[in-house]
Amino acid sequence: MPADPNMKILVVDDMATMRRIVKNILKQLGFANIQEAENGQEGLQKLQQDTYGLVVSDWNMPVMTGIDMLRAIRADEKLKAIPVLMVTAEAQQANLVEAVQAGVSNYIVKPFTAETMQEKLAKIFK
Amino acid sequence: MGHGVKKLYRELGELARFVENAMRTISQAGRPIITSTSDLPAATSHLADLNKMTEEGTLEVMRLTELMQDNHARMGKECAAIEEVLKAMDCVTLAKRVERLAADLSQDDRCLTEIMTALSFQDLVAQRVKKLVAILDDVQDKLMKLVVVFGTQSEGSEDGKGEPGKSGDLLKQLEESKTTAMKQNVADEILAQYGFK
Repeated sequence: MPADPNMKILVVDDMATMRRIVKNILKQLGFANIQEAENGQEGLQKLQQDTYGLVVSDWNMPVMTGIDMLRAIRADEKLKAIPVLMVTAEAQQANLVEAVQAGVSNYIVKPFTAETMQEKLAKIFK
Repeated sequence: MGHGVKKLYRELGELARFVENAMRTISQAGRPIITSTSDLPAATSHLADLNKMTEEGTLEVMRLTELMQDNHARMGKECAAIEEVLKAMDCVTLAKRVERLAADLSQDDRCLTEIMTALSFQDLVAQRVKKLVAILDDVQDKLMKLVVVFGTQSEGSEDGKGEPGKSGDLLKQLEESKTTAMKQNVADEILAQYGFK
């Protein structure tokens, strides 16, 4: 199933620069309906209030980390089917394994390129 | 029995001297520790400033890049419209030239996207700086505990700081650069006073 260009995407990152980069790339890839959250807790609140087709999240964030948000998403009946793409500097094998076990849809290591993002989205929505 | 007690007293005496020497050595080492510890909050503050400066610079580059991307999108649409009209008028050569122009714009767009993604360095730098700040806080906490446990006291100056070492000099330079760094408009005003126009 190809990605719907009108789907609502939630970008979760505590760094404003990173949110802007991800938004810019998604815009270049044809996605215009993008919302932002500064941490996992805020992200969860937004997910519970609206319908999203994809979550792009950082790992290291204050208040609630990306991995904790991912676990909360997968434990929630209403949210568990939403694809979650992690974009993070946590590039240890143990992190990746932890994310996979928590139910991540794909994983991008920073720094990354627009091509990598496109490739990962294609894999998620194939 | 008397000989045993004598030996015990002698050994206890040696032990007491050893403990006293150790305390004196630690106390002397404590002075530079206090100096370094008092420098740590300032160093942490400079690291936070560093984060802020790189973030501000990065956001400005992003703003300008996005402006260019928006302009390119408009130009791309214009090119496509002109190309269509030229083709309808059978101006094939001109239409081809506009097509090449649109291709160049598209290539530039890819470069602009690469500029945007390259700016993710700021996030990586900020994360490392945050970790460094956490380490510095931890080191400061441990040093302070050491100072409290061994009762080391600063001597030689009233403000608790000893002779500034290398770190002290570097911090002083950083502090000065914060307060004395001049903006271009101020520099221009001064230059104007000397006849530079």
